[in-house]
Amino acid sequence: MSSIELFQIWIMAFFTLALFSFLYKDNPIYKFAEHIFAGLTAGYQVGLVWDTVIIQKLWDPMLGGKWILIIPGLLGLLMFARFWSRYSWLSRISLAFVMAVTSGVVLTTQLHGLVLPAMKATMLPLWNDAGLEAAVMAVVVVVGVMATLIYFYYSKEHVGFIGVTAKVGIWFIMIAFGAHFGFTVMGRVSLLIGRVQFLVEDWIGSFSHIF
Amino acid sequence: MDTFWEKLQSIDRRWVYLMVGIAVIFPFIVPIHFPLSITPEARSLYDTVEALPDSSVVMLVFDYYPSTMAETEPMAVAAARHFFKKNCKIITLSNIPLGGPSMAEEVTRRVAKEFGKTYGVDYVNLGYKYGYVSVMKGMATSIESVFPTDNTGTPLKDLPLMQRVKSYKDIAFLFEVADNATADFWISIVNAGYGLPMGVGATAVMAPKFYSFYGSKQIVGLLGGMKGAAEYEVLIGHPDAAFRGMDVQSLVHLLIIFMVVLGNIGFFISRQHKRRIKI
Repeated sequence: MSSIELFQIWIMAFFTLALFSFLYKDNPIYKFAEHIFAGLTAGYQVGLVWDTVIIQKLWDPMLGGKWILIIPGLLGLLMFARFWSRYSWLSRISLAFVMAVTSGVVLTTQLHGLVLPAMKATMLPLWNDAGLEAAVMAVVVVVGVMATLIYFYYSKEHVGFIGVTAKVGIWFIMIAFGAHFGFTVMGRVSLLIGRVQFLVEDWIGSFSHIF
Repeated sequence: MDTFWEKLQSIDRRWVYLMVGIAVIFPFIVPIHFPLSITPEARSLYDTVEALPDSSVVMLVFDYYPSTMAETEPMAVAAARHFFKKNCKIITLSNIPLGGPSMAEEVTRRVAKEFGKTYGVDYVNLGYKYGYVSVMKGMATSIESVFPTDNTGTPLKDLPLMQRVKSYKDIAFLFEVADNATADFWISIVNAGYGLPMGVGATAVMAPKFYSFYGSKQIVGLLGGMKGAAEYEVLIGHPDAAFRGMDVQSLVHLLIIFMVVLGNIGFFISRQHKRRIKI
């Protein structure tokens, strides 16, 4: 293990332990680590966008003769007009462009790529080669979708048949929330495992190279 | 005077942190070896990669931040191992500015070394470009127009692998490792729009959402969180970081279940006790 690698491991261990110290109570070491992280993230992002967008996508191609790029360049500059109240209206031109493009792209892709395939997957045949289990699951999917949709239908009071169906819908929603919560617990524990794995295997493992 | 159960209701949360801390460290010292089952979603992903023809070109996308590496990196490592084991050619890229391209570089170089693969011939790292929607749409026409150079600035025309890969048409399979919404866009733009078969490795928080994409057959397989990564490590016959972490995961889950049950028992007993005092 090189001295640079050792230095990296100890820096990482220091910041990990500094952030974990918040579990006991708020303290200056935690604050220091938090500020370093926020500053580094902002600095890195600015540098990266400057290089990959301003230089690679705008400046270099413009110097290469693509003068049409001056239009998106100007639209980008207009965004900064928000800093001056007298000229802030100019930024709406750029925002309108961004909103129009985003709506155009997102609407079509969401409909074509998410909504329609999900609807198609809900319209399942009851009897096919997949057997009884698939048929039962098809019924569960259709009942779940209908009941959940009815729960979110507010134009009619939830009484009688509508009320019972909405209650079934709540059960489906609660089961979905339970699954989400279980997975969230697993995710958070995984992050803790990752850090402890680093501290036990890499950081404590590096002691033998120093002491 | 407070009963034991009432005291339990107002226990300092730091005792809970300490118990979780002990439960996390203990299996690293004394491995328990809890059993690990393989889900159909992970098996389906494995079978799809197994069925790829020799020398197929695959895309491995590193759409995760370093903060979720514990869950996502084992998936990326296991997938890269499987691809190289199948003699596939790997093209990596990232839509995450903070750390994405360097993690792609680190993982592929490390795994390529294990299999004796050469950069430019067996794998290429395209790096990062801002604006993932235009990146995904642009690569359908020409990868080179979106990424004129690789992550280190080498022109794509100088890389032997990229001479036979021009767009999605030349790619057999895409595996997206993600901790954010870019996975939705890979599905809705690239899979739905250009028909590229794909699998997803998602963080546990995101995984439930992707079961619907698996159900609608938009993705061929799904790895959910550390458990999914551990399953894939077992499937490819190379248990690694995620597999070791699952011992801890199971023990902490048992502890959480125990505390939830204990907390509820405490709640009901102290409520009954308060009612008796009122009577």
